[in-house]
Amino acid sequence: MRLPEQTHAGLVAAAALAVTAVLAGVSLKLGGFDPFQAGAAMVRGSLGGRSALLSVTLVRSVPLILTGLAVALAFRAGVWNIGAEGQLYAGAVAAVWVGLEGGGLPAPILIVAVLLAAGVGGAAWALVPALMRFRMGVGEVITTILMNFVAIYLAAWLVHGPLQESRGVFPQTEQIVGAARLPPLVEGARLHWGFVLAVVLAVVLWAFVRWTVPGFRIRAVGASPEAARIAGRINPDKVALRAFLVSGALAGLAGGVEVAGVTFALYEGLSPGWGYTAIAVALLAGLNPLGVLFTGFLFGALQGGAGAMQREAGIPSAWVGAVEALAILSVLAVDQIRRRRIPILRAGTVVTQEQADD
Amino acid sequence: MTKERPAAARLSGIRKAFGAVAAVDGADLLVHAGEVHGVLGENGAGKTTLLSILGGSLRPDAGEIRIGNAAVDLRSPRHAWDRGVGMVHQHFTLVPRLTVLENLTLGFRDAARGWRLPLDDVRVRAEELMGRTGLSVPFDSLTENLDVGERQRIEILKALLRNPSILILDEPTAVLMPGEIERLFALVRDLTDRGVAVVLVAHKLDEVLSVSDRVTVMREGRSILTAPVAEVERRALTRAMVGREPEPFSRPPAPSHGKTVAELRGARMLGRHGEWALDDVTLSIQAGEILGVAGVQGNGQRELAMALSGVRTPDGGSAMLPSGVGFITQDRSREGLIPDFDLVENMALALHRRAELRRGLLLDWRGIRDRTAAAVTRYQVRTPGASTAARALSGGNQQRLVVAREVAEATDLLVAENPTRGLDVAAAAFVHEELKRLVRGDGDTGMAAVVLISTDLDEVLALSHRIVVLVRGRILAVPEQARTKEGLGSLMLSVDHATA
Repeated sequence: MRLPEQTHAGLVAAAALAVTAVLAGVSLKLGGFDPFQAGAAMVRGSLGGRSALLSVTLVRSVPLILTGLAVALAFRAGVWNIGAEGQLYAGAVAAVWVGLEGGGLPAPILIVAVLLAAGVGGAAWALVPALMRFRMGVGEVITTILMNFVAIYLAAWLVHGPLQESRGVFPQTEQIVGAARLPPLVEGARLHWGFVLAVVLAVVLWAFVRWTVPGFRIRAVGASPEAARIAGRINPDKVALRAFLVSGALAGLAGGVEVAGVTFALYEGLSPGWGYTAIAVALLAGLNPLGVLFTGFLFGALQGGAGAMQREAGIPSAWVGAVEALAILSVLAVDQIRRRRIPILRAGTVVTQEQADD
Repeated sequence: MTKERPAAARLSGIRKAFGAVAAVDGADLLVHAGEVHGVLGENGAGKTTLLSILGGSLRPDAGEIRIGNAAVDLRSPRHAWDRGVGMVHQHFTLVPRLTVLENLTLGFRDAARGWRLPLDDVRVRAEELMGRTGLSVPFDSLTENLDVGERQRIEILKALLRNPSILILDEPTAVLMPGEIERLFALVRDLTDRGVAVVLVAHKLDEVLSVSDRVTVMREGRSILTAPVAEVERRALTRAMVGREPEPFSRPPAPSHGKTVAELRGARMLGRHGEWALDDVTLSIQAGEILGVAGVQGNGQRELAMALSGVRTPDGGSAMLPSGVGFITQDRSREGLIPDFDLVENMALALHRRAELRRGLLLDWRGIRDRTAAAVTRYQVRTPGASTAARALSGGNQQRLVVAREVAEATDLLVAENPTRGLDVAAAAFVHEELKRLVRGDGDTGMAAVVLISTDLDEVLALSHRIVVLVRGRILAVPEQARTKEGLGSLMLSVDHATA
């Protein structure tokens, strides 16, 4: 039944990726680099070997998948949550706080407590813009962006002040206790159980949106709040508010998983902007949670390969950020072109629709 | 009447497909200067598509368009404008957050004024036009605060401001009151006397026949016949439209006294501007009756529908409502359906509330799909399949889906708000039959009640067991001797005159 919509999303993503690749190649060429050498370096650095894959790319894709899911869920509900970055930091702070205090709890319980704290922290951070939107009518695009700065600098203050490690030298907290850490998934690699959690959550969220009552309500409210209210007798504000909070919790979880699985401490600049890249991840995935698995992995590879590209081809790793932005623009452009009924793209969708009806 | 006039526009062999479905396939239309040309056809017959092609908002896949004597390729509405073709769309094209005057000025270009907005010029010209045509609109109000009747007048005024030589009116009468319709037709006559060609689409056959010189009938994307009104029989037209003759209205038998299914007591509802849009309304509705609610648009009908359907709780007083309430909203595409959702999901908007279609948190999608398939068959929704997006359906078929869904919900009460607006004869008759079936209570459910809120007085008179009139948010009962169009009309305007 959902095949046509997914086919649309797949077509859009494929076309957008092709456009992005061409634009990225052209920009490298104009900068005097060899695009093919750069591409090869990127693939080697991200996928070429056990260590690249298991210690770099997949590890980086975990927070991208989790924040990507957060953004996808919010956007599905018509909530423009641009605040995954801030919610991630709020989650990381909450996770570190629980992980430092530990309290002698055994590992499984403490890990669950750390992750729960991260989710609650992210949701709490989303609660402020959520209440501002649904109680006072303040647009969440602005408020979530602004809350990002508050969270980033709050975390910075914490690691320079009250939570700074005991020697007072580095801008970071003490390490969380061993029992609060996510165990490695593969011996000898940095990949941790957070990856499994991200994959499971993506599948769960996909099934939730597709098959459950609250998931259907979220889709209805996102597609048309008026029809949801009148034909569906759904309270759109209530549904969107809940989706907003769950979105915040998912982003917070990304911060908690990063702390418990990778850094074991809170740093200034913990996230290289995952909460923003998450918007590209979600849009490229057509807001489909399963798609987020793939696009999250893709952007993880892009970021993972950036280092190798810099070493081998001399291309500044910051260029990857520009490619991510190009990807967002390409998705939006391709989607608009499809909506305006360009025959080539539409012809494909009609065929698949007929197949779906058979 | 039939003297030879020059051709104003000629469409021949037009074809236009959306996806795999051809909305128009092999349609011809010849419009003479100075005539009113009626275009008739069921919903989905391709009328709007054909006229949008002449209006420049759609481009045909095949066929030729000639305006005057020149073959043209109309690439945009502005392009059509420049050739003297103006179109008043069925769905409004006004910007809600602009004032009426700003909307009138939108797209209006005056080379002499350069980049300055010609607001004052437009005001002067529009005032002059208002005086001549009797179309009055509040220039400085925000458009979003106006009701559909007022918006319709703005659209017509906007089109006339540019002195079109061909004016297309797509369903202009659907939202107008009887007096306004007559004024509009007088205006149309005035225009044709000046040599303007007017193409008129209306869903009521009588209206089209009363004003048109010639008519073209469309069915399934083709033009079936074109003839002078004076030379063609009404029956022949209906047959050409639907392939058979429509059933006449018949008032249902009066109900035996049913139990009260819904009741408002002193109900008050706030309107958009903080006024009491519904003011101290006490109303009780019995099973087995169709209660007609007449009134000029914007006298509290919307709020009454919201209160009776349970979408909103009254701001004062009380509402006693049954559990099984269906609601056919007048704003089908915004409130009744989600255009991007497929038919199954649109059915699920109501069905997801049913306990028997849930398994804990999960929805029983198989069950919902089965019911959708059954509804599509039973209500003859013309669609390629249940997984088609609702936006791909014609207006009439969308309405069939909404009616199917809401009638199934209405085990006790159905609130129907202008349920046949914009529908053709056959589709409207179908909706009326469904309303009557609900109150008869045959089939699988017991006897329900229907509240029919409509600006179409013919419909209210033909179907209702009991009629009330809404005037400025208050209910007036209609005595038996006032059960005529004139009687209702004077009641509808009564308080307006007393308090003005």
